[in-house]
Amino acid sequence: MAKTYVRNNIRALRFQHGEMTQQTLAEKVGVTRQTIVAIEKEKYSPSLEAAFKIAAVFGEPLDAVFSYEPGSR
Amino acid sequence: MNMTFKEKSAWGSLVALALISYWFFPEAFDAATYAADPGRLVGLSIGCIIALIIIEAIYQSVIAAADGGASDERDALINLKAERIAGYVLGIALFTLVGRIIAVEAFEVAETMTALTIAVWILFTLTVSEIAKLISQIAYYRFSA
Repeated sequence: MAKTYVRNNIRALRFQHGEMTQQTLAEKVGVTRQTIVAIEKEKYSPSLEAAFKIAAVFGEPLDAVFSYEPGSR
Repeated sequence: MNMTFKEKSAWGSLVALALISYWFFPEAFDAATYAADPGRLVGLSIGCIIALIIIEAIYQSVIAAADGGASDERDALINLKAERIAGYVLGIALFTLVGRIIAVEAFEVAETMTALTIAVWILFTLTVSEIAKLISQIAYYRFSA
């Protein structure tokens, strides 16, 4: 399974925000639940716009949610 | 299995196209090669296209009613990647067909290809590339992207 170079803390942040479900996050961001699942599993790197929206949902800066780790694949 | 609307759509299209092609192409090659009957070939083609449209319309309506037909950026990306693969398959298949036509004409390596058989081969390459696209889409949904 291809992993991306983009890491994220979405799962941890969801639980810190009242155990927010993947479906709720998906609805707030405007994507499907399966896309949130793929992002959490680091199988899919979201667009910059979706990444900003996810960060905005948690009220965090982008780099608190996503990080880039070249060569860590 | 947890699937998006687009993935369910791809599965349905793949099954419908594969089943209809499995029935259509032996009949079409027979009509074009042995019977040399353009009327039968046109009838078969129109019948299959109508059957495919009806099956797709019913299936897509049912899954859209259940899922709301939602799609997002990941669906668009997967579609683009799958279309790129389908493009490669179509290109290779068409060059192979052109090579076969030239070989048949130049070296008489097989029976002469008529316009009807060439038409069926072109339909076959288009179908193969569409099937490659649908399989690629499903693979991307399951394993990557």
